[in-house]
Amino acid sequence: MTRAYPDADAARAHLSEVLLRTGQEDRDAFRELYTLTSAKLFGITHRICGNAQAAEDVLHEVYLTIWKRAGAWEPGRASPITWLATIARNRAIDWQRAQGVRRTSPLDDAPDIADPGEGAEASLLASESSRELIECLNGLEPQQRDAIRTAFFDGVTYAELAIKRAVPLGTMKSWVRRGLARLKDCLDG
Amino acid sequence: MADSTIDTDVPEDVTAAELALGLLEGEERSVALRRVLAEPGFAAQVEWWRSRLAVLFDLWPERAAPSNVAARIEASLDGLATGTTNGTAAIGTAAIGATTIGTAGPAKVSRFPWPALAAFTSAIAACLLLFVMLRPEPTVPVSQPTPVPRPTSVLVAMLGDAKSPIAAVYDPANGALRVAAGPGVPHAHVAELWVIGGDGVPHSLGLLSAQPTSLAPKGVDRGRIAPGATLAISVEPRGGSPTGLPTGPVVATGVVARV
Repeated sequence: MTRAYPDADAARAHLSEVLLRTGQEDRDAFRELYTLTSAKLFGITHRICGNAQAAEDVLHEVYLTIWKRAGAWEPGRASPITWLATIARNRAIDWQRAQGVRRTSPLDDAPDIADPGEGAEASLLASESSRELIECLNGLEPQQRDAIRTAFFDGVTYAELAIKRAVPLGTMKSWVRRGLARLKDCLDG
Repeated sequence: MADSTIDTDVPEDVTAAELALGLLEGEERSVALRRVLAEPGFAAQVEWWRSRLAVLFDLWPERAAPSNVAARIEASLDGLATGTTNGTAAIGTAAIGATTIGTAGPAKVSRFPWPALAAFTSAIAACLLLFVMLRPEPTVPVSQPTPVPRPTSVLVAMLGDAKSPIAAVYDPANGALRVAAGPGVPHAHVAELWVIGGDGVPHSLGLLSAQPTSLAPKGVDRGRIAPGATLAISVEPRGGSPTGLPTGPVVATGVVARV
């Protein structure tokens, strides 16, 4: 599976070029960008919004935002897919919180997100920073790691996390804060 | 429960991570967002966490988007493109579902009576600055002489210091937010205007230029430009903040008041 490395580099370089051309208001490039990234971004909006129609509406808004802001993307600052995915996650969280309802039950048909600590997946991740973060997360206690991962992938707040895991809010905060402090130490180390 | 109070003994880098992850809500989130505006070091830590955690996106499962979304987006972009003459200005002036409205082009700006506006705003600047200085907390102003809003009244904020304040005038009647020439910014950067209302969260109102700018905030942001709200200008990468929240230093703030 080592062939994943050059493929990932080539894919990233290509996506960078397509995003740069989108920033120059090239509609063809924007269409290709959509083809290359919409499954990733829909995966994000669907998981966080929790229903297909909302996820679709948010995805629509996300790509309009991308069209407007692509010119601001700086190749050296963030990878293209990180930049795009961050927009999708933030928009989906904005939508979810604007609904004013707490989402504490698991999604019906959202797939589980692989925990790379359990297999060889970590070694397949293309970048060194990915491996470093995964290794540091794996160094945390299970409930710390679970809470931080759930916050990221489900876009939930402390209060929602506490209800999901059926622990007092103070307990959840203390798990997460200890986990984040250890994660910082590990990443700085 | 003591959970409703703000924890004061949380290390700064942990708070930055909490904000980057989206764990905070309510007053805790408002406090953290104000720190992003006020403390460049804290803002840098939030950005550091965002970039470190972003590698988790690699693990996010894909899901095929419904086939009609592409056509919806195309239709929206066709709407955006109608009547365009200049790239960035065109995107900014069409407001279809847009969150951040860019600066209007010079042609649009010239329609507004800027000299008259400048004279008007400088006349009221002194009392407003006094008002701002005497009221460090951006709450509902008590100096409001007529509690019932008059339909013709406009809202004004003076951003920055007394030497070189930047006037912002909002007319609720037509939704136009006119801002005097923005602050100087480094190369490849741009000044972005934010409103921070009752929710404590900065919402982008658009990008400023070295020339006076007229912005047309969308409906929900119009409601946020109310007496007591804070307007702030941050320095962002060209095109505006990539995150939807201020990422660069805040160079000017001011409180909205009715005149």
